[in-house]
Amino acid sequence: MEAYDISNLALVACFLLLAIPLLVSHYLKLGIIRETVVSASRMILQLIFVGFFLTVLFDLNNSIVNLLWISVMVLMATHATINDIGLDLKKLLLPTVASFIVGNFLLLLYFNRFVVNLENLFDARYLIPIFGMFLGNSLRGNIVSISNFYDTIKRNENRYLYSLSLGAKKYEAILPYARKSLKLALKPSIASMSTVGIVSLPGMMTGQIIAGSSPILAIKYQMAIMIGIYVSTVMTVTIGIFMTTRSSFDDYGILKEDIFKSTID
Amino acid sequence: MNSEVLKYKDISISYGEKNVLSHFDLDIKKGDRILLKGRSGAGKSTLLKMPMGFAHQTSGNLYFNNSLLDSNTVWDARKRIAYVSQDLDIYEGSVNEFIEEVFSYSFNEGKLDRTKLRRLLVYLGFEKDVLDMDFEDLSGGEKQRIGIIMSVLIGKDIYLLDEITSSLDIALKEKVANYFLERKDWTLVIISHDDVWEKENVKVVPVGV
Repeated sequence: MEAYDISNLALVACFLLLAIPLLVSHYLKLGIIRETVVSASRMILQLIFVGFFLTVLFDLNNSIVNLLWISVMVLMATHATINDIGLDLKKLLLPTVASFIVGNFLLLLYFNRFVVNLENLFDARYLIPIFGMFLGNSLRGNIVSISNFYDTIKRNENRYLYSLSLGAKKYEAILPYARKSLKLALKPSIASMSTVGIVSLPGMMTGQIIAGSSPILAIKYQMAIMIGIYVSTVMTVTIGIFMTTRSSFDDYGILKEDIFKSTID
Repeated sequence: MNSEVLKYKDISISYGEKNVLSHFDLDIKKGDRILLKGRSGAGKSTLLKMPMGFAHQTSGNLYFNNSLLDSNTVWDARKRIAYVSQDLDIYEGSVNEFIEEVFSYSFNEGKLDRTKLRRLLVYLGFEKDVLDMDFEDLSGGEKQRIGIIMSVLIGKDIYLLDEITSSLDIALKEKVANYFLERKDWTLVIISHDDVWEKENVKVVPVGV
């Protein structure tokens, strides 16, 4: 059993549905017409590109090319993380890259070997989509935790210094802030694990079912993926915070000012 | 020989282009009580933060126990020195949790002396049981007193006190000042606008005249 094809004409029928949000926006003056058109167009262009790109990648199925593409994904995730939180890219580049690689790539190898049981660990059809799911979630986690961490520690600098003056080592003074940020970043993954199947049917599972897999196989994949996502997020955000603190604090244990992008220029 | 525990040598401080303090010298020996006096913005707080590595001079040197204070020796300094400031928002959670967390820090090897804690609480006028209260629910003066008690409990012998009596009423100001000034083996460096600190044996040092 294969999924029904969606013809190009049928896709147009789908795009016509966008008239509804546009009309709602028009009558209620939501002011989101422009955004809707721009985001929908971007979505279409990006997915067309990815569709062709993945077709080529899957046909080639060359481990080196696959790994190269994964490296590009990691660099883009790093750029997005650091850009989104207003920190200086150059100073935190390595620790952030390291957090994504250790948190996602090493886990992925374990996953492909022992869970999916692949012969070729770098098989494009598994490597790239699964890595994408891990990376997307740990990217979100990293943005939340790193930005929250540096934000609160900067806002509470006096409190942080106070712990140092009360006998804390740098690590001990940092820990309460790290703890809070990690919890905050992990909450969504924990919540999605506890509601999956009842409140939401995840895209991956739905996709597999439509593509003809049995629901039992689909839920097995879903369990594996959700655990993988949770573990990769935990690893990435933990490594992300502690690795970046090695370069974001000076030898006196004080947060460096110059890791923040100047907001004046 | 009674050598200096802290020695400020030819210290200058400037913020950007603005020169705040020039060629400041001060030798502090064990047991000294120093009161830094000067108009606001003269660099007093910076001088007080320097031994902890929280602020840095623009030029000149600071010595702690005869060694130059740098990113290595500052950690030794932090083991011996307590820095108490007027900043009050120092913890989230209950007072008890605060005390326990501080005693879990690596540099605090001593154990919490509960009897001493109770004595200090009573001495500084806490009637109700403050230990279970949330730090954030305390008044400014109460936070300030808990901060002072904490710094005393962890058992340091050099105290850098930055306006620690500012939010207290006159009777408590007097009590806090007396408590510190009576400990003859402690070294005190004080910034305060309160005259309770201006006692015999307290040396007033002008900063940036």
